[in-house]
Amino acid sequence: MEYNGGSVVAMVGKDCVAIACDLRLGNQALGVSSNFPKIFPITDRIYLGMSGLATDLETLRERFRFRVNMYTIKEEREIEPQTFAHLVSSTLYEHRFGPYFIEPVIAGLSKTPSGDLKPFIAAADLIGCLNFAKDFVVSGTASAKIYGLAEALWEPDLEPEDLFETISQTLMNAVDRDAFSGWGCLVHVLTKDKVITRTLKSRMD
Amino acid sequence: MNTLAEQFSTTSALSKLKKTQALLEDEEMSDAMWGSQAGFGNVAQGSPSFAVPAVPDPSAFLRLHTDDRADPNCKIKIQHGTTTLAFRYQGGVIVAVDSRATAGSYVASGTVKKVIEINPYLLGTMAGGAADCQYWETYLGMHCRLHELRNRERISVSAASKYLSNLVYSYKGMGLSMGTMICGWDKTGPAIFYVDSDGTRLKGDLFSVGSGSTFAYGVLDQGYHWDMTDEDAQELGRRSIYAAGHRDAFSGNTCNLYHVKEDGWRFIGNYDLSKLHYDGPNNVPGAGYGYDIRIAGRASALQPAVAAAA
Amino acid sequence: MEVSFALTGKDYVIVAADTTAARSIVKMKTDQDKIKILSPHLLMAYSGEPGDTLQFAEYVERNIRLYQIRNLYALSPSAAASWIRRSLAESLRSRNSYAVNLLVGGFDTTTQEPHLYWIDYLGTMTEIPFGAHGYGSYFALSLLDRYHDPDASLEEGLATLKRCIDEVSKRLVVSPDRYKVKVVDKDGVREVEL
Repeated sequence: MEYNGGSVVAMVGKDCVAIACDLRLGNQALGVSSNFPKIFPITDRIYLGMSGLATDLETLRERFRFRVNMYTIKEEREIEPQTFAHLVSSTLYEHRFGPYFIEPVIAGLSKTPSGDLKPFIAAADLIGCLNFAKDFVVSGTASAKIYGLAEALWEPDLEPEDLFETISQTLMNAVDRDAFSGWGCLVHVLTKDKVITRTLKSRMD
Repeated sequence: MNTLAEQFSTTSALSKLKKTQALLEDEEMSDAMWGSQAGFGNVAQGSPSFAVPAVPDPSAFLRLHTDDRADPNCKIKIQHGTTTLAFRYQGGVIVAVDSRATAGSYVASGTVKKVIEINPYLLGTMAGGAADCQYWETYLGMHCRLHELRNRERISVSAASKYLSNLVYSYKGMGLSMGTMICGWDKTGPAIFYVDSDGTRLKGDLFSVGSGSTFAYGVLDQGYHWDMTDEDAQELGRRSIYAAGHRDAFSGNTCNLYHVKEDGWRFIGNYDLSKLHYDGPNNVPGAGYGYDIRIAGRASALQPAVAAAA
Repeated sequence: MEVSFALTGKDYVIVAADTTAARSIVKMKTDQDKIKILSPHLLMAYSGEPGDTLQFAEYVERNIRLYQIRNLYALSPSAAASWIRRSLAESLRSRNSYAVNLLVGGFDTTTQEPHLYWIDYLGTMTEIPFGAHGYGSYFALSLLDRYHDPDASLEEGLATLKRCIDEVSKRLVVSPDRYKVKVVDKDGVREVEL
């Protein structure tokens, strides 16, 4: 996990979710690229973040794109965040004895029976053990540091802009204490009617 | 009888330590416990003595628990990872260092002082074991002062560095880890000596030590020439530390800059590398050292994509 | 010790690789070309495990050519790089994996943009303005952070490359003495002398 470095975090807000990652790609201590996003849109209201081995990150991104497309064609509807989380989990468990070195984080807005949108976050370990948290989920080399800040800063029912501030401060301050994460940050906030995407100016050392 | 023979058979540090340890066990209190003489209580008595773990091979025991390169899961992680540099030029010596200390992937501190002010004419830099450098260079400072009192003249940089080199060499194999540059000005003019815990001691014009040293060399070598102005030299030192802080995961946070001239060293300043990246040393937005800042508005495309589409 | 560099500039990519073929402590050859021309607008510098390097480079070369024959047009640099990355990533989890590091530089004739991709033997890929493989990267990357200009003319680009080569010669313990340099731009691929 420390070979390439990188971290991802997702948080729940009031009728919104946020997901953020750093932008560093390293080769152990050597920083190679400062433009390596680790979060990808799966549908209009599901974002997937991954941290771990960069080659597996790209391979899994291609794999999930394929599987989600097949699902969409077969079911003739978009995949729900819960369903996608299980798709991620089973894809990872398929490689139980030679795993992809990736810890995924999922953030999305799921449809309730009444037609409302409900925040959803989940994370998994590298062989697909799902963790549905109600507050925040983390992964990556700075995960322990993110937990520390998230425990202190997060509170329930944050509005989108407040959630953006909370997740940004959490991630930025955590990666500044991690040697293998940083070199810029990327934040997405998913709300009912739009996705706010911002690149943060952060420490570059 | 055996122990008696051993006591006089060698003068290596290890046997000295064992000897002192045996003495300590006899006495109720060691000199160190009195805590006088600026914390160097045990040193003032002559050769320094240390408590050693009561195992057959103390250095192997220490290595087993602290060498995180051999075993990343080892319980004690000694702080390491650094960029330090020093170079000699027409106007004296420039010494620049970063300020990050890491333990594993954790940035344990971003405000470490890696330049040790030995006396008004001597500076030592710190790479490797933080405690090793701090302790031995402070100890060196005491002996430099004693030299001054005994001989009524300041110690030369060469002699000071040789003293340190001999000292750490006597502990070779026991796990000391230091890569240091002793910089200063003496009768012969500006001088830099590289001294490390292997026992290597080199005189030279330009050195960089630490995990980020290769990155610092990249910028330093390309910008260096003997006839630089003071301003250019200070800028080059800062710029090189920034470069290393940027690329090396284990270097960064801030840069401490010193300038040694005929009348001794002077502290130039402490620069936040993040500020250097975006705004440069003079705090002008857009004048930063950062690649993206420096090339802002320029692209490698033959024509801007927007113009091509139009 | 193998060293390769690549950098983009105004409408071009320069790719440079050392020319030594070493085995154990012996230099077997000092004029080996380690940059393959994959298509009229695509270059690939390769380094890594001897044997794997050439085998993989030729495999890539033939497949890119096959695509061109079948479809009557060449893959874009981004598409070619993605395909190469995938080949490496699949190889990584096979019984015999290729240990090859690549720098893929190309000129996209549709958008008129030069592209450079850094790919390692694991299949890690990223697009960068300049890059390096081998021990050279530890000396050259900081230097390129300082001197690289994406807007530079070819002459300026080659001068920056020269800085990298000089620095590696100065500081690397066993540094290569000769390099092959190739350039790709809108007019295609050509070799240049430093």
